[in-house]
Amino acid sequence: MIRLAFRNLFQNKIHLVISVGGVALALLLMLSLDAVFAGVERQITAYINNSGADVFVSQSGVRNMHMAASSLPVSTIGAVKDVPGVEDGTPILYLTNMVAAGDERNLAYIIGLPEDAAMGGPWKVTDGRGNLRAGEAVIDRNIAQKSGVAVGDEVEILGGKLKVVGLSEETASLVNSVAFISLSDFVRFRGSPDAISFLLVKVKSGESPESVATRIETQVGNVTAQATADFAAQERRVVKDMSTDVIAIMNLIGFLIGLAVMALTVYTATLARRAEYGVLKALGARNGHLYRAVLAQALFSVAIGLGVGVVFTLLLSAIIPRLGLNLALEINAASLLKVSGASLVIAAVSAVLPIRQIAGLDPATVFRGK
Amino acid sequence: MQLARRNLFQDKTRLALSVGGVALAVMLILLLNGFLTGMNRQITSYLDHSPGSLIVAQKGVSNLLGATSLLPPGAAGKVEAVNGVGKVASILSQFVILDLQGKKQPAYMIGYEPEQGGGPWEIGEGRKPATDSEIVFDGVLARRHNLHIGDTFEIMGQDFTIVGLSDGTASWMTSFFFIRTAAAEKLLRAPGATSFLLVTPAEGIAPEDLRGRLNALSGINALTKREMAANDLKLFAKIFSAPLRLMVAIAFLVGTMIVGLVIYTATVERQREYGVLKAIGAANRILYQVVMTQALVAAVTGALFGVLLAYGAGQWIMSARPQFLIVFDPRNVVWALLAGLGMALAAALFPARVVAGLAPAEVFRK
Repeated sequence: MIRLAFRNLFQNKIHLVISVGGVALALLLMLSLDAVFAGVERQITAYINNSGADVFVSQSGVRNMHMAASSLPVSTIGAVKDVPGVEDGTPILYLTNMVAAGDERNLAYIIGLPEDAAMGGPWKVTDGRGNLRAGEAVIDRNIAQKSGVAVGDEVEILGGKLKVVGLSEETASLVNSVAFISLSDFVRFRGSPDAISFLLVKVKSGESPESVATRIETQVGNVTAQATADFAAQERRVVKDMSTDVIAIMNLIGFLIGLAVMALTVYTATLARRAEYGVLKALGARNGHLYRAVLAQALFSVAIGLGVGVVFTLLLSAIIPRLGLNLALEINAASLLKVSGASLVIAAVSAVLPIRQIAGLDPATVFRGK
Repeated sequence: MQLARRNLFQDKTRLALSVGGVALAVMLILLLNGFLTGMNRQITSYLDHSPGSLIVAQKGVSNLLGATSLLPPGAAGKVEAVNGVGKVASILSQFVILDLQGKKQPAYMIGYEPEQGGGPWEIGEGRKPATDSEIVFDGVLARRHNLHIGDTFEIMGQDFTIVGLSDGTASWMTSFFFIRTAAAEKLLRAPGATSFLLVTPAEGIAPEDLRGRLNALSGINALTKREMAANDLKLFAKIFSAPLRLMVAIAFLVGTMIVGLVIYTATVERQREYGVLKAIGAANRILYQVVMTQALVAAVTGALFGVLLAYGAGQWIMSARPQFLIVFDPRNVVWALLAGLGMALAAALFPARVVAGLAPAEVFRK
């Protein structure tokens, strides 16, 4: 019966291509949306993960960077540095603003860095330099290309004109990019000399970031201190909690479409072979055998569809960044598992209609030429 | 044409599946576009309802939601003194991430002076904040997280009591909440700070003329509300258009494949009949028409059902998840129907090739 399923499936190539293609596209719909959000989660935490800090200290109650504001008095720097286990601390100023060049305006995290900052600066500068002085900026390479800006050109950040001295990579996401300017320019444009946004802390070797973070919170007071991994996890949760409902709705639609395509293809394939099934019945094949053949057929096409869907998504994730889009697709195991589960359900449900058809088939009809 | 109809209607289940498939694909396209239109409306809701026709932001800031604005000290006084300015309301605003029942929820905080305006435009329940520890919260977000008037919760380390629930301030990405300016200053640790000024021109003064005069002041950027709304829309369109287009393209391809498959199988099954027709002198053109008509009927019926389905699904989504606003723009409906037609045209290609390649004599050899 498995051979019969195979034969049914592969005999008509166009039929196969359409059914597998349809299922693959429906699954691609589910996979790619998951991948888009997983990609955003990775992109959005790139700054945190590459900052070089072990602990992030922020205003009490502020647990992430994206869409958040944090303000700490300058005195926090000294207070944190006095905490046992703290090796070094780099203050940064941060807010969301635009990098403007001509008519092109792009949303960016603006990071104000002290000169020769040990942490929190650009981590991959592929053109120019990453060490900043007053009047200078490092912006993302993709954004620079989009705006027609090169090293040596001027951009407008926080309402002030700055000279681009470096182009960084891995600093753009679907939502925004990261731009680095000097702390003194940030203060000059924003007029906030007594405050910093975050304090990036390096812990002494042998110290765990988590316990130093707890120590900072108790000793300094009125601050939130989190190990970098925890801070990044909080950031990822912002994306996850925002996207849960959108993903659920899209998954449902993708599932329904996949089901419609699969049901249609298995149904038409069975219909076309009705006479053969009739002969098999007349020859004494049990209904159970025939059901298995139909189910196997559905399972095979869904499995191939799943494979093609995954390959498509992988291809998309490889092609999209080359198109200059800041969209990163990332497939994860949980998403694969979910889509595989959905595929199994699709295969099982889509086999129901044809099975009912076979069950109602009268073996004698085939000899009547119907 | 009768042949086309017969081919199509002979197997009802197959027809239902194909119409259903196209309907689902069209529904997806419509829902995605409706979602985007709704989101655009939600993005500009504050600008649409706040007082004044001009907005004064910090120099270099031209968005309300995209960027943090901090006006130079004394900006409000200088703006008020400009000839042609009627009323000025100042707000201090900032995105914050709320922790609600263990979930991260971005929200846009507006610190305002109730006597000046710029606060919630529709309070469904309760009242405006009277003290620095009171808050007007978005009604939809409150219901989602089981928050009621009188409840207390923490924002950036400070406790607030809900005294009012506002309507029309929700969106799936971010909702608005309102506190008094002094409370916002304390939260952001920025005493005396102002983010934006909402300016109403004096009677008889055109906003565009006043904008020019305001922009002569240093350290500020004055825009009409329409310009700022357009900037916010452009910013969010940039973020969402790529993933959205990807999804719409996939939906279109799926729809095309479904119609294609149905018409193809229907054509292949009737290959002999087409052969006979050819043998008795029917021109290829007529056979193409038959195939095309089948594709058109299946796709257009599916597209029409898709519109109905999208409407129903939209209503269901909005009642189950009120933070989503799905708005069907008639233009998008027309586009979805055209997409259905496009699917039919693309789907008829394969079967047409089958018919074209058919040798009339073949049929008699079998």
